[in-house]
Amino acid sequence: MTRRLPSAGTLVALLVVVLIAIAALTPGLLTGRGPTEIDLHATLLAPSWAHPFGTDDAGRDLLTRVIYGARQSMGIGLGATGVAFAIALVLGFAAGLAGGVVDTAITRVLEVAFAFPALLLALLVISVRGPSVATVIAAVGIGSAPGYARMVRGQVLAVRQAGYIEAAAALGHSRLAVVRRHLFPNAVRPLVAVATLGVGQSVVWASGLSFLGLGVAPPDSEWGALLDAGRVHITTSWWLEILPGVVIVLVALAVTTLGRNLQHLLGGAAR
Amino acid sequence: MKVLLKLVSAVAVIVAAASVTFFAQLAVPGDRATVLMNLQTGQDRKWTDAELAPLNAQFGFKDPIIVQYLHYVGGLFRGDLGTSYTQKRPVTEVIGGQLLPSLTLTVSALAVAWVLAIAGTLLTARRGRILSGLGAAWEALTASLPHYWVGVVLLVVFAVQLRMFPIIGGTSAWGSVLPVLTLAIPLAGFLGQVTRDEFEQVMAQPFVTTARTRGMSDFGVRLRHVLRHAVLPAITLSGWALGALVAGAVIAENIFGRPGIGQVLVTAVNTRDVPTVSGIVLVVAAIYVVANLLVDLAYAIVDPRLGASR
Amino acid sequence: MTRRFRVALATAAVLASGSLAACGGAVAEAGGAPQTGGTIVYGHVQEPPCIFGGWIQQAYISRQVLDGLVALADDDTVQPWLATSWTVSPDRLKYTFTLKDGVKFTDGTPVDAEAVAWNFDLWENHGGNSTAKVSIDPYYKSATAVDATHVDINLNKPFPPLLRLITQGYFGIQSPTAFKSRSTQENCEKPIGSGGFTVKEWKHGQEVVLAKNPAYTSWPATAKHQGPAIVDEVRWKFVADGVSRYASLSTGESNVVYEVPTVNWKDAQSRYQTIRYITPGKPVSFYINTKTGPFTDKLVRQAFAYGADRKAAVEAGFHGVIPYEGNPAVSQATPGYNVKAAKAYAYDPAKAEQLLDQAGWAKGADGVRAKGGQPLTVKLVYGAGFIFTQEGATVLQVLQEQWKKIGFDVKLIPATQAELWGGKYSDPSTFDATPSYWTSPSPSILWIVWRPSVPDNPNGSNRSFYNNDNLSTVIQQANAEPDEAKANALYGQAQQIIQDDAAGIGLYTQNSTYAVARNLKNVWLEKSQGEPVFSDAYFTK
Repeated sequence: MTRRLPSAGTLVALLVVVLIAIAALTPGLLTGRGPTEIDLHATLLAPSWAHPFGTDDAGRDLLTRVIYGARQSMGIGLGATGVAFAIALVLGFAAGLAGGVVDTAITRVLEVAFAFPALLLALLVISVRGPSVATVIAAVGIGSAPGYARMVRGQVLAVRQAGYIEAAAALGHSRLAVVRRHLFPNAVRPLVAVATLGVGQSVVWASGLSFLGLGVAPPDSEWGALLDAGRVHITTSWWLEILPGVVIVLVALAVTTLGRNLQHLLGGAAR
Repeated sequence: MKVLLKLVSAVAVIVAAASVTFFAQLAVPGDRATVLMNLQTGQDRKWTDAELAPLNAQFGFKDPIIVQYLHYVGGLFRGDLGTSYTQKRPVTEVIGGQLLPSLTLTVSALAVAWVLAIAGTLLTARRGRILSGLGAAWEALTASLPHYWVGVVLLVVFAVQLRMFPIIGGTSAWGSVLPVLTLAIPLAGFLGQVTRDEFEQVMAQPFVTTARTRGMSDFGVRLRHVLRHAVLPAITLSGWALGALVAGAVIAENIFGRPGIGQVLVTAVNTRDVPTVSGIVLVVAAIYVVANLLVDLAYAIVDPRLGASR
Repeated sequence: MTRRFRVALATAAVLASGSLAACGGAVAEAGGAPQTGGTIVYGHVQEPPCIFGGWIQQAYISRQVLDGLVALADDDTVQPWLATSWTVSPDRLKYTFTLKDGVKFTDGTPVDAEAVAWNFDLWENHGGNSTAKVSIDPYYKSATAVDATHVDINLNKPFPPLLRLITQGYFGIQSPTAFKSRSTQENCEKPIGSGGFTVKEWKHGQEVVLAKNPAYTSWPATAKHQGPAIVDEVRWKFVADGVSRYASLSTGESNVVYEVPTVNWKDAQSRYQTIRYITPGKPVSFYINTKTGPFTDKLVRQAFAYGADRKAAVEAGFHGVIPYEGNPAVSQATPGYNVKAAKAYAYDPAKAEQLLDQAGWAKGADGVRAKGGQPLTVKLVYGAGFIFTQEGATVLQVLQEQWKKIGFDVKLIPATQAELWGGKYSDPSTFDATPSYWTSPSPSILWIVWRPSVPDNPNGSNRSFYNNDNLSTVIQQANAEPDEAKANALYGQAQQIIQDDAAGIGLYTQNSTYAVARNLKNVWLEKSQGEPVFSDAYFTK
């Protein structure tokens, strides 16, 4: 498979991710204002040079709120995917490699886990612990894990059946080496793409919870909460609903593009 | 024998699922009788034991936990899902009326998402940089769209401004177009991306080149050989996707004023209507078990190599 | 028929133009070529668990189906409805109502004194409507049927506000025969009354279809026309999303909508008929925990009141549609409203800081005040989503910022319905301030909210945990005072006590807004709770 040179798209994606990282880690570098600074004389202003994203109904600068929201939103996205990934790898590999009773048991557990609408799981966790960033991460992560676990298991099984694993073993490589050098990369390869897609998905998902009023507490400006607040203004102050959405989309796009490049890199090594 | 075993395990899964919900609901803070009383009166306050007595007696809140649990599980086998605390009707009725619209919505959305994803992959994967790039970019874009953002935008543009679709669509076919699209578009992006990746990997495999040298057309190769392998991850994800669609369904039902399970579920969790929540879980669990079986079958058909190991 | 109709219309027009009350009563434009028949599609928000019950969401719809004994007119007088007249005994312990002749429930049974007495008994002694019960307890003793058309309501103590309170939708009269012979579910979904409409069908999650009652004879004296409903059907839809609900008016998918999003209010006023109703009762005001926490000190409470510009915050958050209410005890639409008390605690951050200094709270390096090592943290718990909308949440966020400037560290704690109503925040240790409201057409609500909570008679509604015996005496006196002017003076005194002690802090009033399509006339709101009345409405060409 040919190796791709970094394209313009990849470079733009990289730039976006770097910007978001800065926003998440040191938002002060990107904006001088605070996210909760109200100005009741400057409410609902359309985007302008002074306020590139406009202001909301408390006169707060929307761009600043989006920048400060990056930490929470990305934190949730990465955290939830990390949680889901970790659970999925453990369960999927255990089931796929061990086979037999372990496989059956884990598959049954996954079936039960699947039986819960992911939303219900999130609602349960949140109603017990109260809405907070940690709760949303746990809820979204646990909710996404069964799907990934199933994928991992499926991939592990498929790769096990493929000819070249047996071939490598026949050539005298140890089982552990076979697992490490052939099984793991090949099983995980499609997962990397899915995981990076999953980060974007998790951010989107978390915003869905905010929509139901179960996300982070105000006045935190997590992107989902911004979208929820902006909804009623869509016909009168469009920027409140459209622009945070555009940011979410851009970030998810960027993360995905980079993730796919990562996948290609990994794909090259396995061949 | 194998079929019987599968059935028994399916039932076990359902009971396990219901048990978990039952105990989880008990873990939610607050006293159930108080919540019910408050809901019935629209106030939030503490009530005396005497005031709560009729409710406690009616629903057995004060019975030992094990008694409540056994009573509940026993009811399941009789087809009795209990009575909703808040709507005073059998849970089966509460869910029954709302199940069909939600099922229609989620299944249609999944189907439409699949069509869009496969079409996108077939038409644009590995067809040169520009087309490929565009296809990939489109999928990446749509996969990143939050459900309600899509929903609100679709509503405002197509229903309010252009008036092509009704705003309060109810369950009519025309009124369902926008809600289905709201759920299908992001999912199509997600499924499309996963499928595309597998597709491109498989296209590079030796057997594809072999088929081509044997004179098979490019499209034929794509359709008959590559697609079967490429859709595997997406099939697996479809099981998960149904669950995610339930979440999206709540949002879509809310935006488009559409009846359905999602709304019932959120309200029930909010008002701690345990029978309704458990009932919904069970119904979905049953659906998943069926979906599970179908996925297994799909795997076996699409990838015969795996058939032997099952 | 046509001529009588036109006369009725003209009368309605005269009545309507004279009844535009200052606090936003009804809008009734008579005129245009009226049509009979048609279906009103009404976009409501919240689907109730049952048609009849103790929640205001139920009163909205039950009023279409059930009649009350008496009705409240826009000028705050109590008018005949099922009862044509009434007398009060000299000792004020017995109210004798004379019922209108020949009125029947839609199941054919008569609306007689027995039926009325049975209903009161249902609410009071069998849990039929706990809001009805708590409104008239402990004054209510019993209801007895004297003969077929005369029913007595007997009291333990004199209670002049009684008449005003029973105008609310919670006191709708159902058919005892139907109630006793049908299942709980049927009674929940299709209660039988004598009202202008009957419940034809309830499609859960979508709408309740109400059908006209052609045999309607018992409209209230406040009705805008004489006779049964003019339209054939009302489709009472549940559309939770504000954007969709309001937009549905513009596409003609609905004819009336409830709760116009405040951002659309100006647009609504230019395109449709609009009605704004300010709810009487306790406004949305803060309960301030006087029992534990930083607010046990009156100076700190007062500093909290002075410290944020509540008026500006409310106006910004609700775009000027919902009025600021400085009076924490009763809203401006309530009789006996103390205007002077409402003006207290105008925004004065300098004064607030001075009070806090005086109380011994010194400003720390991070801007938060502290005393004895404890930071000045305020746990502000509010009902997210169901009591406070997004806009309300914005108001709280603005206040939070302003309080921060003078040294309060306010933590906004959104509570879900399950948490709040499950009692998670009922203990004084769990919150310092919590905003909430009570609807009531009478200032007697003060008793429900501010009755001191004592161990053998706890008051779960007194969320300020404020036990003031002087206040208690004043309110009880007011409740027993037959002369309205004197009673209002006493109620006013009570409001002043609460305000002086800052046991509550005012914020805004509960509000109902409606937008009505221009071709639908005579949709009006009744005065006691702001319920929409559709039995006088008609379409014009």
